[in-house]
Amino acid sequence: MITITNVTKFYGKKEALKQISLSISEGSCFGLVGPNGAGKSTLLKIIASIIQDYHGNIQVTNGRNRKEEIGYVPQEICLEQTLSAYSNLCFFGKLYGLKGKTLQHRATEVLHQIGLADRVKDKVLHFSGGMKRRLNIGCALMHQPKLIIMDEPTVGIDPQSRRYIFEMIRRLQQKGCTIIYASHYMEEVEQLCDEVAFMDHGKTIHYGKTGDLLQQYAVPAIFVKGTIPLPKEMERFGEVSPHKDGYLLTTKTPLSAMEEVLMFYKIRDNGLERLELVRPRLEDVFFTVTGNKLRDEII
Amino acid sequence: MGAIVTLEIKKNLQDRGLLFWMLILPIIFTVLFIAVFTSGVDESARQQIITSIVPGYTVMFVFFIMISMVSTFLKDRDLGMTARIASTPISPYFYLLGKWIPYIFIVWVQIIILFLFGKLVYQIPLAQPIFLLVLSVILAFTSTGLGLALALLVKTDNMGLAITQIIGLGGALLSGLWIPIDMMPDFLQTIAHFLPQYWAHQAFQDAMNGTLMFKELFQTLLILFAFGSIGFIIATVRYPYFLKRARG
Repeated sequence: MITITNVTKFYGKKEALKQISLSISEGSCFGLVGPNGAGKSTLLKIIASIIQDYHGNIQVTNGRNRKEEIGYVPQEICLEQTLSAYSNLCFFGKLYGLKGKTLQHRATEVLHQIGLADRVKDKVLHFSGGMKRRLNIGCALMHQPKLIIMDEPTVGIDPQSRRYIFEMIRRLQQKGCTIIYASHYMEEVEQLCDEVAFMDHGKTIHYGKTGDLLQQYAVPAIFVKGTIPLPKEMERFGEVSPHKDGYLLTTKTPLSAMEEVLMFYKIRDNGLERLELVRPRLEDVFFTVTGNKLRDEII
Repeated sequence: MGAIVTLEIKKNLQDRGLLFWMLILPIIFTVLFIAVFTSGVDESARQQIITSIVPGYTVMFVFFIMISMVSTFLKDRDLGMTARIASTPISPYFYLLGKWIPYIFIVWVQIIILFLFGKLVYQIPLAQPIFLLVLSVILAFTSTGLGLALALLVKTDNMGLAITQIIGLGGALLSGLWIPIDMMPDFLQTIAHFLPQYWAHQAFQDAMNGTLMFKELFQTLLILFAFGSIGFIIATVRYPYFLKRARG
């Protein structure tokens, strides 16, 4: 269990983090979601002991040196471009005290884990963005940390690499690792994380289990496309709004609404072209909770 | 720390720019200036000029390592490497030492090569080789120690480059590396005593001629060591601020 209690951080007079308190269950994948400038990276740097002048308390179990327990994957690709993937892994392994055969064995193991076993001797310089991202993660896994902190690990990569990274994260979680995953891509967090904390303006707005949040806050909807527009009376189920080339009916009783829509079109010679249940998304929860759309703040 | 030392050595060996600053440029300057200043002078004056120019330009160019050090540290800071290393169990002192030691070694090799060049091409005397070796190690320590401080003080590469020019060229001018110190006004001669270049140059010249006393050697080593140590102290004090600006 990781316990974060009343963590506050100032940059000059600006309060970057305001009394953050969270508890993260062991073995979970914890999503930290929020727009740019929300304070996610600052919080992660504090957990990773990069920033040490803050108020509050962080406890990361076992009483061992916190740095030895944590593998930190920064947002930037921090690799030595002129060295091979193997040398990069060995470099970070040595920083964690690995040496000799253990180091070599671990580097080979991680190369397999990140899918770069066939590129051992190639210089990082010649790697694609996705390969660099995977190696960036690999460097944080060398010392087999119990807690892995990932700050936007999928920025600017292709869907294949993103999928590979997701699978890697799931495998790590199955092995018992706790993962803190920061991103402003809500759909990624929704796919990966069991627990989520929404952050904005240096505060946690809300946090809890992903499923619970979706159930509690997000309202399902149905999408309808037909040859004739939806009648006014459908508004008794919820809000009707034009969406793409059809209508979106936001309702707490989607099945009843769908039944009604089917009936409506059946009577009118089946002019229904499309009827879909729209699953509630984490972004909707964020919107409901904060009352804001995601912003892209320049900091 | 060993991992950082090895990595830095590997990186520097691949850096051709460093080879230019550290060896090619000083050799070109030495050859050109010896040619200019020794034309039309008798053999004894020629030997005296060479014995001043070779160590003088060596001492001057030793300080240009600061450009490379600033660039390496700022690159690490801006690419997120500094922050990432800060997340590992390695302490800031060992991080700084790991980055610093390879440069001490590089500068030491630079000094040896430049002196060997002087010996082979101009037959400069090397009467007290052990003293010269000890002096070269401590000068390498001093110049890179100041380079370390500068790297953690400046915000941009350009600032680093400008300050290096002031320290390198200004220091060379004021310390009598270009013009014999006796020909300079009294107040400039006094200023020279506060500069590491002056002490290194005087001691090198004396050791080359075999006239360096143990007491003078010890005094010079102490002064140069103090400059280098101050550099390291400044760097350790500045490290938290440097880390604050680091990306990642």
